[in-house]
Amino acid sequence: MKLGDLVRLALSRLGTGKLRTALTMLGVIIGVASVVALVSVGQGATAGINSRLQGLGTNLLSIIPGSTTTGVTRGALGSVTTLTIEDATALATLPDVAGVAPELASQRLVVAGDQNETTTVIGTSPAYPLVFAYSMWQGSFLTQASVDHALRVAVLGNATASNLGVGPSSIGSTIDISGLPFEVVGIMQPKGGIGFQNPDDEVLIPVTTARDLFVGTDSVRTIGVSVASAKQMDAATAEITALLDQRHGIGAGGTPDFTIQNQAQLLSTVGSISTLLTVLLAGIASISLVVGGIGIMNIMLVSVRERTREIGIRKAIGARGRDVLLQFLFEALMLSVAGGMIGIVLGVAASAVIAVIAGWAFTFNPLTVIVSVVFSLIVGVVFGVWPASQAARLDPVVALRYE
Amino acid sequence: MSEPIIRLEDVSRVYDTGKVLVPALVDVDLTIDPGEFVAIIGPSGSGKTTMMNILGCLDRPTGGRYILDGTPVEELDDDGLAAVRNRSIGFVFQSYNLLPRTSALENVATPLAYQGVGRRERLARAQAVLEALGLGDRLHHQPTELSGGQQQRVGIARALVTEPALLLADEPTGNLDSRAGAEVIELFRRLHASGRTIVLITHDPDVAAAAERQVHIRDGRIAA
Ligand SMILES: Nc1ncnc2c1ncn2[C@@H]1O[C@H](COP(=O)(O)OP(=O)(O)OP(=O)(O)O)[C@@H](O)[C@H]1O
Ligand SMILES: [Mg+2]
Repeated sequence: MKLGDLVRLALSRLGTGKLRTALTMLGVIIGVASVVALVSVGQGATAGINSRLQGLGTNLLSIIPGSTTTGVTRGALGSVTTLTIEDATALATLPDVAGVAPELASQRLVVAGDQNETTTVIGTSPAYPLVFAYSMWQGSFLTQASVDHALRVAVLGNATASNLGVGPSSIGSTIDISGLPFEVVGIMQPKGGIGFQNPDDEVLIPVTTARDLFVGTDSVRTIGVSVASAKQMDAATAEITALLDQRHGIGAGGTPDFTIQNQAQLLSTVGSISTLLTVLLAGIASISLVVGGIGIMNIMLVSVRERTREIGIRKAIGARGRDVLLQFLFEALMLSVAGGMIGIVLGVAASAVIAVIAGWAFTFNPLTVIVSVVFSLIVGVVFGVWPASQAARLDPVVALRYE
Repeated sequence: MSEPIIRLEDVSRVYDTGKVLVPALVDVDLTIDPGEFVAIIGPSGSGKTTMMNILGCLDRPTGGRYILDGTPVEELDDDGLAAVRNRSIGFVFQSYNLLPRTSALENVATPLAYQGVGRRERLARAQAVLEALGLGDRLHHQPTELSGGQQQRVGIARALVTEPALLLADEPTGNLDSRAGAEVIELFRRLHASGRTIVLITHDPDVAAAAERQVHIRDGRIAA
């Protein structure tokens, strides 16, 4: 029998028992859909983590107030106010440190002409672009002089600038932050990124200005430290710990009141955990694919039994064992592949919905589709071949006599 | 004199039930020439169906030689037997044995599909045979939508579509009323008149009378 005839035969057969066909395919549909969705979710999460990794400054250490070194929680991280601008200034003198950027942040209403927006206003140092991997688009960043003299100058994140209608021609113009006039000295390049916080929506002013005008205290939310090279991370961590211990009067064995985070390390750990979870979940999902395959095998065995006489007739009019084998194998393949296709559609739809909810970019990976189709083909062959060979081996005389 | 189409030499078929050996055919010698219309007649349990299975290459003899159209059947493997059934033999069954949920046209075309004949050609050939048997207006009916006599004519069309050397019919009128049965016998007579070789198996002497030669079988042996 020709390929086209086998396909037509299998399709017409599946069309005669639509409910049975649908129920039989359900196992494969669920299996493939969950594998596709889980892999896509995993990839989305990993892509998100990777883009955050790229957005991080080179060799970044983040120092935050509060301790995580004891098992006992002593107030939420960041709720304590133990790090100061002076700490940041002192850290800048350490040999392995290339740049230090404190962050003194608050939410402020920013007005430019007739546009306004409430956004994060961060007081920081000239090292900020180096530490957090920004580059300038227009104008220049804050200078040391502007920090020393607490000048009212501001650098806008790219998204903030476009939200406020501030373009290249507006360098040198004036904006209002909480009603106070600031001179726009620069606009940064967009960094892009994912997640809930847009890294391009912020306004940067000298840390001293922020302290004097907006926050009123010395304590900072974070201090970002850029270490000179990746090899010096450990040395830098030790130096920072020693210096801050000394400045905060923490003796040997005492509990530090700050925490040093290596964000890149943290994120790559999270990344590998998420990859592991993805693999694990996809593995569990593929078990349901196997269960779906067993469902197909079960139905095919029943079908061979029910159609024993048909098999006898076919053999009497000239079907070889191979023809009968292929006929039943194609039916199993149609079930599994059609189930796989529907599963892919459902899985892709589910992952698109999840991507929207989770706020990461939906990526459609054709490889997932190819792998799923191949997998359903394999399921069809593995679980179809035994019933089909049962059919092919039937003795025509016995099969014709079967009621 | 041409080569016979069927030559059975000392053919026997013993069923092994595990406990006892049942000899269903014993030392059968039979020769059928091309163009003959032969009825094999015998009482129930005499071995008619066993004979038909062997003649039709659905089953193999346990002893003796069967030469079909010059080919010794014992030399063929299972695929070889399937090919012989497909090309050289047309079966007509007592219970029609049409494929369920399949139109008359598709039923008749199926043997050609196993020959690898393209779909367009085989449907055309199937339609021609059905029309010749007066079923031109029933092409797209399914077996359940046809009368017994019509189903049997579809079965005969399916047996004829491959132009087989031998038409084998096992009790073809067994499930039909006398009128439909008579029509089928009349059809066989016409096919014989047009030169076909027909072997008809029956227990009914009236049906057997339609053939030009009767072979009587009793307890697995050919009675003179
Ligand atoms: N598969 C089998 N196993 C064992 N014995 C069998 C088998 N098939 C047939 N027989 C025996 O072989 C003998 C001939 O059977 P067969 O079916 O050929 O008879 P038949 O002439 O066709 O009878 P009927 O007119 O009732 O159809 C019977 O005695 C039967 O019991
Ligand atoms: Mg019988």
